[in-house]
Amino acid sequence: MRILIVEDDREAASYIRKGLRESGHVADHAGDGEEGLEMARAAEYDVLVVDRMMPRMDGLSMVEALRADDDRTPVLILSALGEVDDRVEGLKAGGDDYLVKPYAFAELLARVEALARRRDPDTVRTKLVVGDLEMDLLARTVVREGEEILLQPREFRLLEFLMKHSGQVVTRTMLLEKVWDYHFDPQTNVIDVHISRLRSKIDKPFPRSLLHTVRGAGYRLQA
Amino acid sequence: MQARGAAFLRTTAFRQTLLSAALFALASFVTLGFVYAASAGMVLRRADAAINEEVEQLDASFQAGGIRTVNRYILERTVGGGADYLYLLVHPSGRSLSGNLTYLPDVQPDDEGRVQFTYRRPAAGDRDDADGKDDRTARGRIIDLPSGYQLYVGLDVDEETRLVSRMLNTILAASALALALGVAAGIFVSRRFVRRLDRINTVARRVKAGDLQPRAPRNFTGDELDELSENFNNMLDRVEALMHRMRHTGDSIAHDLRTPLTRMRNRLDEALREDGDRQSREQALERAVADTDELLGIFNAILSLSRLEAGESRASIQRLDPADIASDLAELYEPVCEDEGLAFAAEIQTGLILLGDRGLLSQALANILDNAVKYTPAGGAVTLRLRETGEGKIEFSVTDTGPGIPDSDRGRVTQRFVRLDNSRTKPGSGLGLSLVQAIADVHNGTFELGEGPGVVADGHGAGLRASLCFPKAPAGS
Repeated sequence: MRILIVEDDREAASYIRKGLRESGHVADHAGDGEEGLEMARAAEYDVLVVDRMMPRMDGLSMVEALRADDDRTPVLILSALGEVDDRVEGLKAGGDDYLVKPYAFAELLARVEALARRRDPDTVRTKLVVGDLEMDLLARTVVREGEEILLQPREFRLLEFLMKHSGQVVTRTMLLEKVWDYHFDPQTNVIDVHISRLRSKIDKPFPRSLLHTVRGAGYRLQA
Repeated sequence: MQARGAAFLRTTAFRQTLLSAALFALASFVTLGFVYAASAGMVLRRADAAINEEVEQLDASFQAGGIRTVNRYILERTVGGGADYLYLLVHPSGRSLSGNLTYLPDVQPDDEGRVQFTYRRPAAGDRDDADGKDDRTARGRIIDLPSGYQLYVGLDVDEETRLVSRMLNTILAASALALALGVAAGIFVSRRFVRRLDRINTVARRVKAGDLQPRAPRNFTGDELDELSENFNNMLDRVEALMHRMRHTGDSIAHDLRTPLTRMRNRLDEALREDGDRQSREQALERAVADTDELLGIFNAILSLSRLEAGESRASIQRLDPADIASDLAELYEPVCEDEGLAFAAEIQTGLILLGDRGLLSQALANILDNAVKYTPAGGAVTLRLRETGEGKIEFSVTDTGPGIPDSDRGRVTQRFVRLDNSRTKPGSGLGLSLVQAIADVHNGTFELGEGPGVVADGHGAGLRASLCFPKAPAGS
């Protein structure tokens, strides 16, 4: 994957760049919004990682300029501003996801990969398949090895999200945001508990497990 | 003193009173002027009427016997002095024929043929004349008779005009006096006003200089200045409380962050000194990363708390059904409770409407539920309840059968970084309940802690009942 990092803090940029390269991606760096806009226009990127506050042109203006050109490249906005209204502002400007500083690299990587996946033409998929696990989005049914699995509505949404991002790491924060729409971190391990519930339904009765825990990062659904 | 006086003249209070004094003086001037016009006019009108009557008499004499009769009429009246009127009959050649005036006044008559002039009294002693002056004011008419004779008929109006001019002087003096008194009263009143304002300003200056103790003086009359003082003092109380809290928070942050930072430093130090053992070094680093995350979590909590308390967070307040919030959280926490061996129940009343921010309210409830899960021992119970109270408020409550919080500590735990002794072993920043309190405040709600349904005799605690109360949304959209 080819990723452009637009970040004025060189140290932070090189930390992200190194991490992304180690994960097998190609990462370029732009030092401010204007340079970032130029580079984004000049080359095809899969994902842009854009810092919000930068000299010359701030991140939101840069994203707005890109969107005005009808450039739909997914954008992850990085920001030290983490209140709900800041987040809403970021998404309104055309960002696809919003990550508050400070963050763990694993969180950034998971989100970048999730964003790249979203670009795939999967808009009208009515069926999700991971190995022998199948989800019918219209009939709201889940079947594994021909056996129907009954899920609570929230469990269904949790599994749907995991299946849409199968093969990728999904963090606990991502799940809280995307499945529950909560933008705070509970002190207790609520997500782990829900994952283990889901696991007991979709994995336990079967010989091969699909839902894996990725230490220090989150979970991955993989055949 | 000079500068102070000049400054006083510039005050709004002084200018206002000066203006009102001037207006008052003007009003009295206009009123008295009206009185003057009415009475002075009347005096002259009466004189004119008398003159007209005498002119008619003379006219009748002329009709009866021509100039001679007129001449005789005048002679009869003026010989020996003591005439009421002033007369002068002038021959066409300009020679005076008869009368008690020596010459015709050289004054242009007005539209009605009247003249007013000063004459020299012909003979002294026939009238009481207090000031002894001989120049007197007269008023009368000059009538042109046929064949070139001219006749003057007039009245001495010296007394009257003098009275009128005295009246005018009195009126001017009274107006000037009114103006002077008004200004003096204004200075007096505004001085008092300015002095009271000065005291408030002095307090403001001292506060600006860094002394938060002084308060504006009050006289408890409830007048505007008293109200200003009261509001001013309330503001200072709030500022002082905020400053105090800030200082306290600063100290607490330093104190509470020192522990995890020291721990982290020790771990990193140990990892450096560890000989060769790659695995334990990695473990130490991982724990250090976890410590960092915890610290960052505390910082984030402080940040959101500060923004909430400062009222800066533009929470997106909307009409919402609190049942949605409660049931989402019930669904999130039920499995957690079950895993911890706690019986979880949710009693949720539907159909209520609340003005609130879903994210913030959810976070407040999540913090309370986190605490319930953390402190209630296995075998206990946690209940989440949403209902309309008897007072018509919307209440979220979470009850648990944990150890509870002693009465004396209940007010304290919502303060920042306050952690009760028995909770120090559990993870947490001591900010959770402060955040709940701040969220309640943002929503004009209340957050209260009370006794739970636990049974102390069982060896468990009394339990805790945490209650968040909010006003119902007003009807309509």
